[in-house]
Amino acid sequence: MARAVTTKTKAINTAIAWTIAILIFFPILWTILTSFKTEGTAIADPPVFLFFDWTLDNYATVQERSNYFRHFMNSVVISVGSTVIGLIIAIPAAWAMAFVPGRQTKNVLMWMLSTKMLPPVGVLVPLYLIFRDWGLLDTRIGLIIVLTLINLPIIVWMLYTYFREIPNDILEAARMDGATLRSEVIYVLLPMAVPGIASTLLLNIILAWNEAFWTLNLTAANAAPLTAFIASYSSPEGLFYAKLSAASTMAIAPILIMGWFSQKQLVRGLTFGAVK
Amino acid sequence: MATQHSRAAARIMIAPSVVLLLAWMLIPLGMTLYFSFLRYNLLMPGNNPFVGFENYAYFVTDPAFQAAIVNTLLLVGGILLITVVGGIGLAVLLDQPMWGTGIVRIMVISPFFVMPTVSALVWKNMFMNPVNGLFAYIADVLGMQPFDFLTQAPLASIIGIVSWQWLPFATLILLTAMQSLDSEQLEAAEMDGASAWSRFYHIKLPHLSRAITVVILIQTIFLLSIFAEILVTTNGGPGTASTNLTYLVYAESLLRFDVGTGSAGGVIAIILANIVAIFLMRMIGKNLDA
Amino acid sequence: MTTKRTLMGSAVGFGLAAGLATAAIAQDTTTLTIATVNNGDMIRMQGLTDNFTEQHPDIELEWVTLEENVLRQRVTQDIATSGGQFDVMTIGVYEVPIWAEQGWLTPLDNLPESYNADDLLPAVRGALSQDGQLYAAPFYGESAMVMYRTDLAEEAGVTIPDQPTWAEIRTAAEAMTDEENGVYGICLRGKPGWGENMALIGAMANSYGARWFDMDWQAQFDSPEWNEVLTDYLDLMTNYGPPGAAANGFNENLSLFQQGKCGMWIDATVAASFVTDPEDSQVADSVGFAQFPNKEGVDNRGNWLWIWTLAVPAGTDASEAAQEFVAWATSQEYTQLVAEEEGWRAAPPGTRTSLYENQEYLDAAPFAQMTLDSMNAVDTSAPAEGEIPYTGAQYVAIPEFQGIGTAVGQSFSAALAGQMDAEQALQSAQQITQREIDRAGYGEN
Repeated sequence: MARAVTTKTKAINTAIAWTIAILIFFPILWTILTSFKTEGTAIADPPVFLFFDWTLDNYATVQERSNYFRHFMNSVVISVGSTVIGLIIAIPAAWAMAFVPGRQTKNVLMWMLSTKMLPPVGVLVPLYLIFRDWGLLDTRIGLIIVLTLINLPIIVWMLYTYFREIPNDILEAARMDGATLRSEVIYVLLPMAVPGIASTLLLNIILAWNEAFWTLNLTAANAAPLTAFIASYSSPEGLFYAKLSAASTMAIAPILIMGWFSQKQLVRGLTFGAVK
Repeated sequence: MATQHSRAAARIMIAPSVVLLLAWMLIPLGMTLYFSFLRYNLLMPGNNPFVGFENYAYFVTDPAFQAAIVNTLLLVGGILLITVVGGIGLAVLLDQPMWGTGIVRIMVISPFFVMPTVSALVWKNMFMNPVNGLFAYIADVLGMQPFDFLTQAPLASIIGIVSWQWLPFATLILLTAMQSLDSEQLEAAEMDGASAWSRFYHIKLPHLSRAITVVILIQTIFLLSIFAEILVTTNGGPGTASTNLTYLVYAESLLRFDVGTGSAGGVIAIILANIVAIFLMRMIGKNLDA
Repeated sequence: MTTKRTLMGSAVGFGLAAGLATAAIAQDTTTLTIATVNNGDMIRMQGLTDNFTEQHPDIELEWVTLEENVLRQRVTQDIATSGGQFDVMTIGVYEVPIWAEQGWLTPLDNLPESYNADDLLPAVRGALSQDGQLYAAPFYGESAMVMYRTDLAEEAGVTIPDQPTWAEIRTAAEAMTDEENGVYGICLRGKPGWGENMALIGAMANSYGARWFDMDWQAQFDSPEWNEVLTDYLDLMTNYGPPGAAANGFNENLSLFQQGKCGMWIDATVAASFVTDPEDSQVADSVGFAQFPNKEGVDNRGNWLWIWTLAVPAGTDASEAAQEFVAWATSQEYTQLVAEEEGWRAAPPGTRTSLYENQEYLDAAPFAQMTLDSMNAVDTSAPAEGEIPYTGAQYVAIPEFQGIGTAVGQSFSAALAGQMDAEQALQSAQQITQREIDRAGYGEN
């Protein structure tokens, strides 16, 4: 395509887009900057932007108070674990729904999504009791189970809408050639499905990483992920903006960086079948 | 087209998901339903007698109940409005040729990666705080009285915070849809002398309709149970100004430890959520079948 | 396509490896999981635990540090469902008798000789004991008092007596307010919650001669005393308080006072050591103290009492180790340790008589005497004037109070935010309270 665009239009677009993007990004940037200030500088009037004495003290204080690495590992294990298990369960289901749709398929799908509307607070006490009896409180396994279940509907749906975009003709052709169901899935379907699976994976890691209700309520010390780590900074005594910023930066940095590096993959499958 | 054989295989493949979700729905939900008919307060252990619909009556007559329903709808509606309109605008903008698209896109989607707790804490303390927040400083520079966001306009402030988190999601999906638009169609319209606005209104917007319904569906699912943002910023107040249904259930079952009433509230919330769901599904279903 | 596959592959591998690595750690020692609140004193304790683990190499400590409301919800839920997640819990004086009654707490009958329970302040020991048996060890205790800026008071030409009345407080607040320079005459709690704004308003009500219930468990918010309490509170805060006061709790006000934005602050005595700490407070040199105000003619200075305690839940399998830790953290030895590391001013206040007989402490802590006087003035058996069917302090010692207090706190906070007037807030408080108390069946016999 060759739409002629004048340099002037392009410059205006650029200016507008950058302004808006910087405004949207500013809270994150400000948090990161504040994390390197002293508590006094953090509330300085007028606020200082870049020219202050950069310090790592806040990070040291935060690390001293809580074992960041353990929380981080818990977050990784729980979000990745629940997503992978979710995918293993969801891929066959989504495949079947997309390629062998029955009369009830759409209803089943909608029912699955509706389970996601269950307000977590309403079922916390029952679940707490179940977890207590099964010895799952404060375990990574317990959290992986819960997060798998709450995100499963989204995983199934995303994969379903993505699989549906795969042209049926190719499968028909493969079947004509006498491909078994197994080889059909492995050689024909999977390669085409990879972008959709990849972005489902990424989106669900993000959702699981940021889930703050179950992760906080079903853990104590051993399995507590970063959402619990941040909960101890919510309003400590005295000045705390710099420490809060440092803890916040530590909590969001891993997923932010992952998101930045994988945004192309994330976007590619994020269509929910909504493209056409 | 599908054979008997493949149908059977399909059922087996769907079965694990269905069984798991069914268990997830029935076991805690069943227990919630059971608790909702008991007088069950964690602080007063006893024999938890059966009390029929007393808990329901008590929850529904709570002075905060009506406010909670209204606030829930306002929250969901307000955030949807902002993110969909803003998302369309941003998608159109990002679809234009410019320098540094990659970096702009990264900056725009970043809020989506931020934990709700973190974003609520950051907005509350570093921006909206009427004494030390950045907004207060800006107001001061402009010679205005600092506005006390979380006290004077708690619901609007929360809508703002949550919209900031979800705007990237809407933008991403709408942008993807926008980029799939056949450019020849647009060029043809341009040749015919259609203005930028009419190109947007008659070609781009209809093309986006399906993506918009998807954004609405997904976001509604998450927005109906907004909780962390309210807990961190306003605790549902002042008064009941920012109490939504989820928060009210929380207040009953985990602040008053009245599990019976909390469960009744949970059941009511589930029923209402399902009404919204059915309504949405109708809308989406139609749109997705097309 | 390959990049994506590696991305997925490595993510999975990463997760699995991490899972296996931690599963393999052998357990030879006792691990105590301690739930605590993110207050300055507790965070200090966390920093000093090397001293404990050196003495007890077989005990490992795991900390769960949470914000007060979240902490309370987590530990209550856990103990009431026998979840068994925690071996030591940080709980307040309000919970101790209620929980002890339910059999949820391990009696602290295993404390070492050196603990010297007789050294505890009588009011504190009494509040934490049931039938003479101690159920929780006090970490620090507090009453409430007035903290004010001596420099601002002087500038404004007002003096605040040691035993001020509310009228005198109002006069001083008016004189000290200087909004141009961001100085507000008075900072009080406004954030809704039974332990937040209702702690202050509850104590204020006591000092005005108001009460929560009469002898028939009828809520008393329709009384003229309560009307006066709320009207005066709103008057003080709207005219001389900081903006956003309806969202300010203890921590927010502390931060404001430390930045020099408050002329007076009436709050927990424990704040005194923070506002006089030159490292964190910009006004450390010019803080004066006075007792909690009363209304003229009412002989009641609020009866504010709060104690953060360490308790051992009944279900724990490490009761012995837990008691050892509790004894260490609330011992005279610990106080000594804090003094060595951080100076005497930082010693946890309000629990032991010996601290207030220690000249080093009295020299270092200008607020010591005022704290002790305030604590000694508290009578938890008769917190309010008039006949009452309950005990308590700034709270009412019944399990339902958390719910009632928080809901009433919401109404009062809404009044402070200007959403309703005092009359409406009191009406709504009356209605909420009566509704809850009737449902719980108090008035029936």
